[in-house]
Amino acid sequence: MLDFINPYYLQIGSFILINILLAVSVYVPLSSGQLSLGSAGFMGIGAYTSALLTINFDLPIFLGVLAGACLAGILGIIVGLPSLRLTGVYLAIATLGLGEVIRVIFVNWESLTRGSIGLTGVPQIGRELLNLVRGFGFEPSMIGLKNNQFVFLLVFILLFLIVLATIWFVVRQQNSRVGRSFSSIQMDEKAAESMGINIMYFKVLSFAQGAFLAGLAGALFAHVMGYISPSDFSYHRAVEILIFTVFGGSEVIIGSVFGAIFLTLMPELLRFVSEYRYIIYGIMLVILMAVRPQGILDIHLLGRFKGIKRSKGGMR
Amino acid sequence: MLLEQLINGITLGSIYAIVALGFTLVFGVLGIINMAHGEIFMVGAFVGVMTTGVLGWPLWLAFAASIVVTSILGYLLERMTLRPLRGKKGVSHLAPLISTIGVSILLENLSHHIFGAGNKPFRTEFAEISIEIGQVTVYIVQIVIFAISIILMIGLSIWLSKTKAGKALRATAENLETASILGVDTKKIITLTVIIASAMGGIAGILVGMAFNSVSPQMGLAIGLKGLAIIILGGMGNVKGAMVGGLLLGLSETFLVAYGDSGYRDAIAFIMIILILLLRPQGIFGSKMAEGR
Amino acid sequence: MDKLLRKSFALCAVLMLLLLAACSGENAGSEGATGEQSGTLNAKIGVVSYLTGAGAAYGEAITQGLKLAQSEINEQGEVNIELVIEDSAGEAEQALSASQKLMSDDNILAIIGPTLSTEFFAVAPEADLNGITIMGTSTTAEGIPEIGDYVFRNAIPEALAIPTAMEKAVERTGAKKVAMIYGNDDVLTQSGFETMKKTAEDMGLEILTIETFQKGQSDYNAQLTKIKNTNPDLILASALYNEGAVIMDQARKMGIEVPFVGGNGFNSPQVIEIAGDAANGLIVATPWFGESEETKVVDFNKKYEAEYGELPDQFAAQAYDALYIYADALKRAGEADRELFHEALAATEDFEGLLGNFSFDEIGDVVMDVKVVEIKDGKFVEFE
Repeated sequence: MLDFINPYYLQIGSFILINILLAVSVYVPLSSGQLSLGSAGFMGIGAYTSALLTINFDLPIFLGVLAGACLAGILGIIVGLPSLRLTGVYLAIATLGLGEVIRVIFVNWESLTRGSIGLTGVPQIGRELLNLVRGFGFEPSMIGLKNNQFVFLLVFILLFLIVLATIWFVVRQQNSRVGRSFSSIQMDEKAAESMGINIMYFKVLSFAQGAFLAGLAGALFAHVMGYISPSDFSYHRAVEILIFTVFGGSEVIIGSVFGAIFLTLMPELLRFVSEYRYIIYGIMLVILMAVRPQGILDIHLLGRFKGIKRSKGGMR
Repeated sequence: MLLEQLINGITLGSIYAIVALGFTLVFGVLGIINMAHGEIFMVGAFVGVMTTGVLGWPLWLAFAASIVVTSILGYLLERMTLRPLRGKKGVSHLAPLISTIGVSILLENLSHHIFGAGNKPFRTEFAEISIEIGQVTVYIVQIVIFAISIILMIGLSIWLSKTKAGKALRATAENLETASILGVDTKKIITLTVIIASAMGGIAGILVGMAFNSVSPQMGLAIGLKGLAIIILGGMGNVKGAMVGGLLLGLSETFLVAYGDSGYRDAIAFIMIILILLLRPQGIFGSKMAEGR
Repeated sequence: MDKLLRKSFALCAVLMLLLLAACSGENAGSEGATGEQSGTLNAKIGVVSYLTGAGAAYGEAITQGLKLAQSEINEQGEVNIELVIEDSAGEAEQALSASQKLMSDDNILAIIGPTLSTEFFAVAPEADLNGITIMGTSTTAEGIPEIGDYVFRNAIPEALAIPTAMEKAVERTGAKKVAMIYGNDDVLTQSGFETMKKTAEDMGLEILTIETFQKGQSDYNAQLTKIKNTNPDLILASALYNEGAVIMDQARKMGIEVPFVGGNGFNSPQVIEIAGDAANGLIVATPWFGESEETKVVDFNKKYEAEYGELPDQFAAQAYDALYIYADALKRAGEADRELFHEALAATEDFEGLLGNFSFDEIGDVVMDVKVVEIKDGKFVEFE
């Protein structure tokens, strides 16, 4: 009966959830008008920090993940401050460059990161959780599950909760003073400033939040994969993350979620066209920008589907 | 050793400069970053490989073929991906960036399917000719590359400042609407710009093929990213800046390898742009404060 | 606003459920497809291979080798192997998903692949945990068979190939000073470099300089000029053939005439294709010597070329052998059972394959003789 709890599907599910976090990490800075292509770099910072701490110092995973995310967030602040002078495409390219520099450092700092060979034996969340519940005298077989199924189910549920909490936070924030400041900055920076909004504070805030989320996703990625190497955090990853958000809809958070789900699932469902996958991606981006630059989902579409009127402040 | 490395650096820098000229031209007129430029360059190189290697054409014909193919690609790029976005309401300034990223992914993977994943050799007798100056061997190709980059830069500068088409182009760059009111056929000018930029990418592609004897579908990304860094370094939309920035990057990379740690070679371009963006966001030769478009 | 929030979550949850629902169903009912039928042993072997992306050439060679072996083995009739091939696109993440997909199918007996060591490091511990035998055919990095009991490889590790090649090269050339160049952003070339450096130190060679390059680079002149000025007797190059061939070409143009010693990834007929005459003087150790006069090699070359229109490289040859090793173990296991198969495979000894006499050691690593070959006058010949 519990056969449908299949590790493969749960694995894909876990990757989808991590990708949602990554997509949101692009979405948040974008909601204040900043396009960051550095998410792959921040993701790498989170992943390496957490992996190194847990491997070398036997830190509990959740502390490692927290440390990874925080370090990425702090780096986000450090980078975010001087980047305030940059707008639009300049910021995009500077962050793209930052991501590349971070990757090159991972490759070259061999004494710490083992270079391109990568870090093996990163503790995996699932197995640690299994040991934890076993410590309480609980066995997966008690609820009729194989160890393997149980592990993947736990990981999936844990990630699901993290993603839910993140989305809840972002949505709440959007409808607060902070979120309205973000969108006013996105609309017109000068006007926002003249209204008395502290541009510097809010821009750095949204940028750092994006970095934090990317770091969080990276740390979780490390502990789900059990193995990381610098090639996991390359330019291609940054573009892929950008595509999640842009495809799904960059104006609404649900767009990022949809984009991540759809684009992670598509290659799995269409493995037979996998050879042409990137060609399809490319064509899709071009068509999308020409026909629907705001992405598949936008406020009007959501409104029409659900009959929801856009409330004050909006769901930007 | 110093002299040899200097020649290496100038050769590499000249190629970077030609690639950057293509970027800077499109940015100067349209205010957008053409992320597909590196891939157009790569296609140009493949056209060279195919025409000289498989069809056995002479080199000048290969150049012509490459310029024709990349010009067509440029035209298609403008027609299919850039024009639909122009003047449309509600299109953010990031749309062309993303759209051209799409084209770059498409071109890279398409050539991968057509030409295969590996490196292709570029064989021409011309690339084998060398002269000895003292202890140093200089290949004619290296001199040609440097000369072509200088000619392109000067030609472009003169064309922009002296000819009617060039003036129209600058007017368009200044203000699209005003230029169009003043009777400039902006559509034609923009198309022309993208075509010229792409053709320069094609020329650079063949030059790289000749100089380094290696052409692969992935080379577009590597050189494209460098080109991007250079135009920020030299100042967006600035012809002289692209040239100087290209040479500067080529020389720094070469000397980093020669006297430092070759592992950080790929990072140097970006470390440079991060620094320049923080110290002088308008670039070395940029005049006004950069505005995100 | 709360309403919208709730709806969003609902949508999210629905999507997730859809995902799970879409995924169930499939698994039921195919029980019994594995098993004996009129004397032939049926087995499904999962393959994870790098079929799209920058390194697709490797994955292509591997799957072609496997398919050729499959059709031959099935023709012989004793066992009937079905290959289930999944693409990993060279990404650890996708390799893991693909192998999960294979592993959750109870009919899959064992797995071959993934192609890259980076992918293998992510996949193998999972397979080992699930008690599914996994064998790498192209994964030469350090530490692969050590992952677990169920992890094997038939790709000769760099630790076996490189020292052999270096010893022979030094013996003949009498080299004392070496320069090194390697790709530092690739796991294979990085791990090959470490073996080279260690061997060079053990042999008491003087290392003049160590240079690196990165993927997608096309200009190696700066590194090579530096190397040239140190006047080495020998250049140790840990590079994949794609970059390696271009490096040799640029080196020869610059006037560097000393021999190159390469790792496993440097060994391919493509080197000659790309670099032409410049490839002369490359010394590599290899399990696979394509120019060999042995009948089985000549036959294999012929069949492979007839089928795919190109000559096989070592990746194709190793994959071809891998499936034969699997088929051999399957015969000895007597039935398509994961546990029995694992035991039979681990016991593989003195298997006579295309590449020669092959055995596994106690951890599942390769025991076999490697040949040292060099490129001379535009083709591979045995090194003397």
